[in-house]
Amino acid sequence: MIVAEDVITVRGLTMAFGERVVIRDLDLAIRRGEVYVVMGGSGCGKSTLLRHMLGLQEPAAGEVLYGQESFTRASPSGRERFLRRVGVLYQGSALWTSMTLAENVALPLQQFTRLSPRRIREVVELKLSLVGLRGFEEYYPWELSGGMQKRAGLARAIALDPEILFIDEPSASLDPPTGRHLDRLILQLRDALGTTVVVVTHDVASILGIGSRALFLDGESQRAIAEGPPAELRDRGPPAVRAFFGAGAR
Amino acid sequence: MVREGAAAAAPAALEMDRAEDESLVLRLSGAWRLGEIAPEPRDVERELEFRPAPRVSLDTRGVTSWDTGLVVYLSRVLESCRGRAIAVDRAGLPRDVQRLLDLIQEPVLPPARGTLPAEFLERVGTRALGARDRFRDVTVFVGETALALGRMATGRARYRGVDLGLLLQQSGAEALPIVALVNFLVGIILAFVGITQLRRFGAEYYVADIVGIAVVRDMAALITGVVLAGRSGGAFAAQIATMKVAQEVDALRTLGISPVEFLVAPRVIALTVMMPFLTLFADLMGVLGGAAVGTTMMRQAFAAYMRQTSMAVTTGDIVGGIVKGATYGALVALAGTLRGMGAERSSEQVGEAATQAVVSGIVAIIAACGVYQYVFFLFGW
Repeated sequence: MIVAEDVITVRGLTMAFGERVVIRDLDLAIRRGEVYVVMGGSGCGKSTLLRHMLGLQEPAAGEVLYGQESFTRASPSGRERFLRRVGVLYQGSALWTSMTLAENVALPLQQFTRLSPRRIREVVELKLSLVGLRGFEEYYPWELSGGMQKRAGLARAIALDPEILFIDEPSASLDPPTGRHLDRLILQLRDALGTTVVVVTHDVASILGIGSRALFLDGESQRAIAEGPPAELRDRGPPAVRAFFGAGAR
Repeated sequence: MVREGAAAAAPAALEMDRAEDESLVLRLSGAWRLGEIAPEPRDVERELEFRPAPRVSLDTRGVTSWDTGLVVYLSRVLESCRGRAIAVDRAGLPRDVQRLLDLIQEPVLPPARGTLPAEFLERVGTRALGARDRFRDVTVFVGETALALGRMATGRARYRGVDLGLLLQQSGAEALPIVALVNFLVGIILAFVGITQLRRFGAEYYVADIVGIAVVRDMAALITGVVLAGRSGGAFAAQIATMKVAQEVDALRTLGISPVEFLVAPRVIALTVMMPFLTLFADLMGVLGGAAVGTTMMRQAFAAYMRQTSMAVTTGDIVGGIVKGATYGALVALAGTLRGMGAERSSEQVGEAATQAVVSGIVAIIAACGVYQYVFFLFGW
């Protein structure tokens, strides 16, 4: 039997803002190639967990490991090395508004590879083609719709062929068809690129549509109370999780 | 995205063969990775130009590892074949590569942009129209601000009193230290220049007159205006431009609140009201700067220096300086808010708006100073 390798492990993580603990003693392992969903109600610590995995916030206790190595205890240069394997699609896309879409996607390639300008242009065209934005290279983010901005953010996130793709609220502020289109795109890219995807969302349709496994964070008890395939959690999970899916489906 | 095979070290290579039916077979081998030397799609294009083929087949069994580099290469070859209406057999490609190529969509053709270089006359015309539009925008903005100020005066404007209070504090009381320092130094400079010149005629005791008149009539208001252009004008532009980027201005509009009433008018009032006070304060600091030089260099008594100043400076000079100060305050606030409101929805525009606000604020102040000089001269004030 082939056991999938864990690409990210979280051990005994306690997340807090000063004295206020958000989640305590969190353990999880994300396997290579899966779409791992972190879900829960507003303010339960989903995005905070993402920030801890990316080193944007320091844990109150515990650690995050990339493969077998500790990301939390790594030196700044070590962290940079880990982060080179990662792409992030932010909730608000976070595209640089003073740059065109082509410049947004090209920036990581210019900074972290030695590709020629011509080759960078070709890669940029390819990445924008993958998200259906070929032809919009010279457009500025603010000239595009929210869905297009999200797709452009995705093109930038996959610019360096990341091993792990973090996505914060993919369907936030998108209409349902656009949200489902983005979900399909994420799955297609995962299948084609073999990328591990970590998604933070409270969108039930999205969770059931793309998640291989899901983790439910409960803000009230400050703990993760369930983990497993989303459909299983919806049908046989703890009452709070079933209520979450039920409320989301209505 | 790096797929490893057995022998990852072999470099990327391409062999082109012909089948019996003249179709072109591309055999790819080695490591196809970005940033490493790899064959160019041009080689295939040249081959197809030199010897057309009814079909192109791809064989990647020899590829040991690949990433985006291979996909970029293949997408170019496919595009080239599509342009020549040549069928491509992709069966020999790894499944993941096929999936990626399937994801690549035909380019969407957005509305064309003017990329052709414009003719000279066209450029002149475009600029002239742009200047006309800018002039119209400024006029409309000034008009809207005047109307908003009128509504404020009659209590019909929508704005928050607490915001106005805060703006008065920020642009008035909080500006005192920098206004004091700069004007004190300007007083010292004027006194040094004055003494140096007047000494040639043995009239250095009149330095108090020169410093007093120069400071009170013009320099205090002018220098304070320039300081506020940098300090408050730039801040106003950056604040409003940031609000535009974050769609806060749109939120005001959709609530039915005029951004000019809510954001612009309070700022114009704050600077126009505070500038006369700051100018008076600057007058005092400038005269004190002059006195510092006068009393130390000429050993003149402080009381005598101040008496000389009070004899030279008239009430008209002081009132004139205050009126100029109020005008400069209004101009700086208008320049700052105009640039802020004119910013587009990008973060770069925030910095640009702040820079433009400072530059246009200073230019407006100096232009207004020139106009005042001429008018005062005409009327013999």
